[in-house]
Amino acid sequence: MIQKLVSILLVEDDEVDVMNVKRAFSKNNIKNELFVAGNGVEALDMLRNVINPLPKIIILDINMPKMNGIEFLKEMRADENLKNISVFVMTTSNEDSDKINAYNLNVAGYILKPLSFEKFLSSVATLKNFWSLCEM
Amino acid sequence: MTNSNILYIDSCKTAIDDAKTALLKVEVQSNLYFSESYADAWQMLSGENTLTPAPKIVLIAINEIGSEGIELIKKIRKDANLRSLLIFVITSVHDDKNKVAALDLNIAGYFDKPFENHKISEFYTIMNDYWNIIEF
Repeated sequence: MIQKLVSILLVEDDEVDVMNVKRAFSKNNIKNELFVAGNGVEALDMLRNVINPLPKIIILDINMPKMNGIEFLKEMRADENLKNISVFVMTTSNEDSDKINAYNLNVAGYILKPLSFEKFLSSVATLKNFWSLCEM
Repeated sequence: MTNSNILYIDSCKTAIDDAKTALLKVEVQSNLYFSESYADAWQMLSGENTLTPAPKIVLIAINEIGSEGIELIKKIRKDANLRSLLIFVITSVHDDKNKVAALDLNIAGYFDKPFENHKISEFYTIMNDYWNIIEF
């Protein structure tokens, strides 16, 4: 899948984390186009009005202003055009309620952001390998 | 991802044996259960032979054109206790209808079934790495 260079949407409000994802993508040679939205409201707007064709992968933070990750997921799963996009949660939230809510909304994985950049790089490498197997 | 159960359903006994060998080789940190029929698998998820704890990961092989595997996913998604399961579909048939139906049911991944030994080993290594970075 990933070879076909489908686009990826990152929904993340923290600028440092956005930079880390960009660096980790670059170091792992992930060349897919990356769109960035700062919260759920912005992400829905981009999905509905801006990004065409739609991304096949969304990387989603949980704690964000305006509309958090779980609220975004609910809206997205209720939208006929968006409901089948694969979502990978990447967050610092270790709350059980967030994990349960996210899996009830059928995310493909819930990943805790590692504290060190080296570990983060390794998680992104694992994701890249996983995506490369997926038919999307 | 530890102390969990994984259920793998495949009508092909050889594929089950291959998966078992590969998953043991990567030292997967979960109890492995296997079923050669969708009906038996449903009993292991929600019937008389329910696995405890319920598996968090289910791999469903689709080897024939037809809707049996998709029907099982639908049943899982309709069941309040099972709907949050992570479902991975491994298929040996190239049928876009199956793929679209499975993705619409928010599976975590749709994969071509590996057949050669090195591909099988690579496939389960990547899957295991992925399961190890996600939280439940």
